[in-house]
Amino acid sequence: MVVKGIKSSKKPMMGWVCTYTPLELIYAAGFQPYRIFGHSNPVKNADSYIHPNYCQFVKSTIDVAVEDGYNFLEGVTFVNSCDAMRRLHDVWKEYVPTKFIYILDIPMGYSSLGLKYIRTEFEKFKIALENYTSNVIQEEVLEDAIDVFIESRSLFHSVNTLRFKNPPLIIGSEIMEITSEFFKSDPKIWNEQIKEKLTISGRNTTRSDIINKPRLILSGSPIHDVNFISFIEDCGFNVVYEDLCTGSKFFDIKINKSNDLLSVLGEAYLNRVPCARMMKIKDRAKNILNISKKYDANGIIHHSLKFCDTYLYDVPRLKELLIEKDLNVLFLESDGSLGSLNQLKTRIEAFLEIIKSQMR
Amino acid sequence: MVDYTLLKQYFFQLEDALKHKIALKLTPRRKFIYEIARIGIRIFDKNWSNGWTTVFVPYEILNSMNVSGMFVEFFGAMLSGAGLSRKYFELAESKGYSTDSCSYHRTIIGAAMDGLIPEPDVLIGASIPCNGGVKALKRIGEIFNKDVFILNIPIEVTSKSIDYLVDQYQQMIDYIEENTGRKLDYHKLKQSIKFNNQAREYLVEVNNLCKNVPSPSISNDLKNFIMYILLLGTKEGVEVAKNYRDEFQYRIDNKFFGLPEEKYRLLWIQNRIQFKTDLINTLEDRFGANVVIDELNHIWWDELDESDPLRSLAYRMMTHPLVGPVERRLKVLTQLAKEYRVNGAINPAHWGCRQSGGARVLFKEALQKVGVPLIHLDVDCVDERNYSHGQILTRLEAFMEMLTASNF
Ligand code: SF4
Ligand code: SF4
Repeated sequence: MVVKGIKSSKKPMMGWVCTYTPLELIYAAGFQPYRIFGHSNPVKNADSYIHPNYCQFVKSTIDVAVEDGYNFLEGVTFVNSCDAMRRLHDVWKEYVPTKFIYILDIPMGYSSLGLKYIRTEFEKFKIALENYTSNVIQEEVLEDAIDVFIESRSLFHSVNTLRFKNPPLIIGSEIMEITSEFFKSDPKIWNEQIKEKLTISGRNTTRSDIINKPRLILSGSPIHDVNFISFIEDCGFNVVYEDLCTGSKFFDIKINKSNDLLSVLGEAYLNRVPCARMMKIKDRAKNILNISKKYDANGIIHHSLKFCDTYLYDVPRLKELLIEKDLNVLFLESDGSLGSLNQLKTRIEAFLEIIKSQMR
Repeated sequence: MVDYTLLKQYFFQLEDALKHKIALKLTPRRKFIYEIARIGIRIFDKNWSNGWTTVFVPYEILNSMNVSGMFVEFFGAMLSGAGLSRKYFELAESKGYSTDSCSYHRTIIGAAMDGLIPEPDVLIGASIPCNGGVKALKRIGEIFNKDVFILNIPIEVTSKSIDYLVDQYQQMIDYIEENTGRKLDYHKLKQSIKFNNQAREYLVEVNNLCKNVPSPSISNDLKNFIMYILLLGTKEGVEVAKNYRDEFQYRIDNKFFGLPEEKYRLLWIQNRIQFKTDLINTLEDRFGANVVIDELNHIWWDELDESDPLRSLAYRMMTHPLVGPVERRLKVLTQLAKEYRVNGAINPAHWGCRQSGGARVLFKEALQKVGVPLIHLDVDCVDERNYSHGQILTRLEAFMEMLTASNF
């Protein structure tokens, strides 16, 4: 089956939903990882399967899945990321015929015990994949897979550094296109294409439409639609970093290689720049401050998806922590559909004006 | 300066009122609430350290260290029951806490901001049943500038995952020792497991007695019995359980049934509605419908191993029906429906409960398979500001009429 927009290697595809999924294992088992996004239109069918008070990501994913929109996936790997995700797993398992369904248990927060546990979880997952494919994942194959993703991350960083410049040499929506493509593609093929792009694009010219726009960091609940970024850019910002599971932050993970590859992966994933489920709000604030400096940002928009407890609970405290650091922050909440964004336009524009007045 | 006189008064008055009532006549319900009030009073007792927790943590360990564990959802329920929660919702919401979140948690966040609760010595949150609980506890920790100890409850039972939880319990003990100076008395812990096993046996009997048609219990005899977890592993817990067993046995022997004209037997899913409504009376008086089993009152665990307390407590926690994927819970629900011979099930479908709402259709279908219809009430069990009595009543009536029709 050919799916639009995918750089496919004709491997069977494994869907995944959470940034804590060890893609290396999926790839080493012979699958092409495919990130499930749902959609950003009004939800149609999900309410017949789940309570309406679930986030757009979960509801729209169900929408697509129950209409066979994901039937090109051979399997799906879920993570026990949040309450909503657990229920997504349950609904999927009941209503969407899929050959391989798995749920990984990832601890909240970092601890030495958690580290040991995540390794056993990854090992269990590896065995489940091996049992399913009747193929043992050899060490070399896993190491190769790790290397492929290391290269992807490093290539992404090279692209992302183009945003250090002011005005940035690449705009946010372009980066989001690249990121989204990564989520759907065979990483090896994606790597090759990015390398090509990096060599041919001299990128020393800047587009006139992005000059003088304030530089913005986008943080918060996962955003799956490139149009979301374009919308904010059209309001008058340059998005220079996405502190999102679905944006630049996704690539912020460090692999320290050693002999025990499962520990390597466990350590890397548990230690990655935390999302709100990891209950480390101070680290989240610190990270936002750091990237804000690193990318020389003028402001931050923190967007929470309606009904996303994980991020919404953090908002009041995060606001305090960021304001303490003298950062300009706008906290938004929407149902994640593009329609709902329009209602936020005035607030985004007002925020833009405040920042612009400070820049003068 | 924080002022928690209100809370202190509440528990002391409750204790006092029940003491008088018990002097007039001892009933298991009175004894139960009396003991819960005494646990509330412990918050102000210097011989105990204060532990704020989420609902499912190992109270046996806390009790054995003289740490008075109190789960935050309890306060949501209590304040709502006392008609006092509005102020705290408004306060939390004014600080940006979403009205879409679980109101059990929103109340306690507001209450903590308002200085209603005394400073905790320790804060212990578990990853089940829901993420909101840990987030709320984190907020309380921030208010008091304290760390929160988080227990990650593994979703699958394997020998390694049990080890992981046992190790976490060990770390939790260290954390409590560090923050309270209180040591774990293993002898006391073992004794507490012994009490737990005794109480468990009585509770299994209590539940079995309620399988009787008609049931010896009435809908509110075991309402909010989830609070019983605070008494697990205590002598008082054994007494309460025994009182219930004796009373229900007596009722059966003497044919005093909860609802003598019991026409319908109902299963209640998750929590009850906490603020005052007369829905239960309506069910009983108008329809002869009796809630004979609350999902959360099910005793899911086997006898604990006294020689290995931490491991058996870990195993008990990990096998809780609300842990992990919903399959386990569905199995329990259908099992309860069959064993208690219920005619229908009520799910309040508490607004803001992300743990449960996503499985509502699965509940309905699983119960349908065993011939039990289910109604989702779609209420917020704690926040009565949006409660529309007429609307809920109409839905409930329609449901009861449907049951009546299918009975003929
Ligand atoms: S973290 Fe938020 S956005 Fe992600 S699945 Fe959970 S509720 Fe939805
Ligand atoms: S009602 Fe749901 S969200 Fe609220 S405390 Fe209970 S399990 Fe958690």
